[in-house]
Amino acid sequence: MLKVENVTKYYGDFLAVDKLSFTVKPGEIFGLLGVNGAGKTTTFRMIMGLLDSDSGSVTLNGKPIDYSQTDYIGFLTEERSLLTKMTVREQCLFFGTLKGMSREKIIERLQYLLDKFEIPEYIDKKIKELSKGNQQKIQFITAVLNEPKLLILDEPFAGLDPFNVEMFKKEIIEMAEKGSMIIFSTHRMDHVELFCKKLVVLLRGKTVISGYLSDIKEQYRKKNILIKADITKKKLEKIDGVTEVIEKADEFEVKIEDKNKVKNVFDVISKTKNVTKFVVEEPSLNEIFIAKVGENYEK
Amino acid sequence: MRSKLNYLISISLNRKIKTKWFVAANVILCLIIIGLINIDSIITAFGGDFNQTQKVYVIDNTEHSFDLFKEQLKISSQAVNQSEESSYELIKYDKTIEDAKKMLEEEEKNLSMVVVFDKSEENVLDVQVITKEYMDMIDTQLVNNAINNTKVALAIYESDISMEDINKIYSPANIERVYLDEDKNSQDENMEIIMTTVFPIIILPFFMLSIFLIQMIGAEVNDEKTTRGMEIIISNVSPKTHFFAKVIAGNLFVLLQGLLLVIFGSLGLFIRKLIGNNNIVNGITNEVGSMISDLLKNGFGDKLIYIVPLTLLLMILTFIAYSLLAGILASMTTNIEDFQQLQTPIMIISLVGYYLAMMAGVFEGATFIKVLSYVPFISAILCPSLLVLGQIGIIDVFVSMILIIITNYLLIKYGLRIYKVGILNYSSAGLWKKMFKALKN
Repeated sequence: MLKVENVTKYYGDFLAVDKLSFTVKPGEIFGLLGVNGAGKTTTFRMIMGLLDSDSGSVTLNGKPIDYSQTDYIGFLTEERSLLTKMTVREQCLFFGTLKGMSREKIIERLQYLLDKFEIPEYIDKKIKELSKGNQQKIQFITAVLNEPKLLILDEPFAGLDPFNVEMFKKEIIEMAEKGSMIIFSTHRMDHVELFCKKLVVLLRGKTVISGYLSDIKEQYRKKNILIKADITKKKLEKIDGVTEVIEKADEFEVKIEDKNKVKNVFDVISKTKNVTKFVVEEPSLNEIFIAKVGENYEK
Repeated sequence: MRSKLNYLISISLNRKIKTKWFVAANVILCLIIIGLINIDSIITAFGGDFNQTQKVYVIDNTEHSFDLFKEQLKISSQAVNQSEESSYELIKYDKTIEDAKKMLEEEEKNLSMVVVFDKSEENVLDVQVITKEYMDMIDTQLVNNAINNTKVALAIYESDISMEDINKIYSPANIERVYLDEDKNSQDENMEIIMTTVFPIIILPFFMLSIFLIQMIGAEVNDEKTTRGMEIIISNVSPKTHFFAKVIAGNLFVLLQGLLLVIFGSLGLFIRKLIGNNNIVNGITNEVGSMISDLLKNGFGDKLIYIVPLTLLLMILTFIAYSLLAGILASMTTNIEDFQQLQTPIMIISLVGYYLAMMAGVFEGATFIKVLSYVPFISAILCPSLLVLGQIGIIDVFVSMILIIITNYLLIKYGLRIYKVGILNYSSAGLWKKMFKALKN
């Protein structure tokens, strides 16, 4: 299990990460979210031991992470971290050997992964000759080459088309099913909703949301109601507890301030004719993120 | 971790050696070195009038000038060519100046000259030197010198001094050197003159290799930094391992390159021996050859037994110092352009050492140069030079070695702290503050 406990990091007087805590168990996919400069990359660097924290601790299976454990960790950085003058084979041999893998094992894994990502013909191409998307694939391959127990992915989907995003997602889910602990950061909330059970949202180094996704949504009092009925926007806006009404093509999206206010809306709608839809929805993570980060931004 | 260190060293070396540019650069270096060693043979291979004797037609209107001039020209020619053979053939010309001019004009090559000696009431001797075209510099100097000596000799002769006595006057004096200091001898004195010329040639490869070393480490560290490959590398091996891998690989590379330069030089000498070395071009090649043989004659071979190992050891220690410094500076920079600016002062320091080594023979006993010979980074250039010249002793060389070992220890101890922070730093903002903070930690 990866345990990050009360980790704090300052750059001079600037607080980059403030008392951050979370755990990731084998088989879990953990999301680290935040706007630019929130402290995500600093957190990853502290987990990888590239930066020392000012206080707090990071342990993997009860031991502080050091170079005796890095062979079991995979790391994909936000920026391209490939030696572009090397060929794909040379690059993978280089990083794979640094992970303590044998040459034969590296080549075997590389060929398997290149086939899986449908780019076997690039094995002897120089990295600088590849497109941005294919470079990202190679970077991902170098991160998972050693079948890591802990996989850290900093913005893994950057620069990828939807088709390749699907490929990556499939591979990440597969690795989690095999028991890897996976942490990743992204700006795309839909990706987090798709496969993260747990997450932390950072804002200027401080934790603003933390926990299981289902609990976070549950705790978030605001709900959305989708309505199809013979009713006007004005009438909906007058209901107690309604904060916003969005008129769509053939329905209304009604946002309420608290789930207890659903009854108020239902009472009005039940007296209306031609009701064909009344669905109470959990808010999207994107909404929660904007709401929470927005609140804290103002503070 | 040791296997990862070995792997990083092999990767660094392969990235440098297994490239077509390394092969191409060494092929070019090999050709240049072999060419320089055999430059005289190359020049003669393309043809020219190198072996032709210059004919000097003398119209002597003074009776005695021909014999005196012949003797003086022979002495001058032998001194320059370091050979018993004179490259001039003197012919007494009995016809008129006009006939002589006509003869020169009819010649296809510019290989003859006419020298006309006339008596002068005011100046003892009036002389005309007639050639078809320009004379070369050496001929001009030799002939002018011989003419001036002829004038003096003629004046002496006319003062009723016999020709035998005149020759005695012009023969070199027997000089016996006496040294009150028992440690001094004529061998060292000769060596001083010889080393002033030869040493810069011997030390040049060291200067060249230290620049190769600095550039190699700087380029590699910056390549890994700018591509962010460094993050993955440092997440798998410690900065210490990475630092030592770069230093060791850099030093192995320069040692290999140095060895290749020695092989190229030996190959050049072998080819020179093979083709027989008909030394036709007078000047540099002759001078260097004779200087080396003089060095060996003067007991330089005995001195080599301790000078070579000491010099090599000092050079290796200095290479290590340069590589440590290059690694530290490269970690502080964020791109190769910044590093190139930082490496300029190091190169200038090395260049200063090189020039001081050349001047050591001229400014004998200069305290300034002697003190600088202890200074790490330039001691490897200065110490061997001063040791050969007898200006410092073996103990001074050992002091220089101890100083460079201490420098290397300090560079490792404090430089590693900077390296750890520097290699993952991508911003030049507050750089010095970060580095000083790293030093304190």
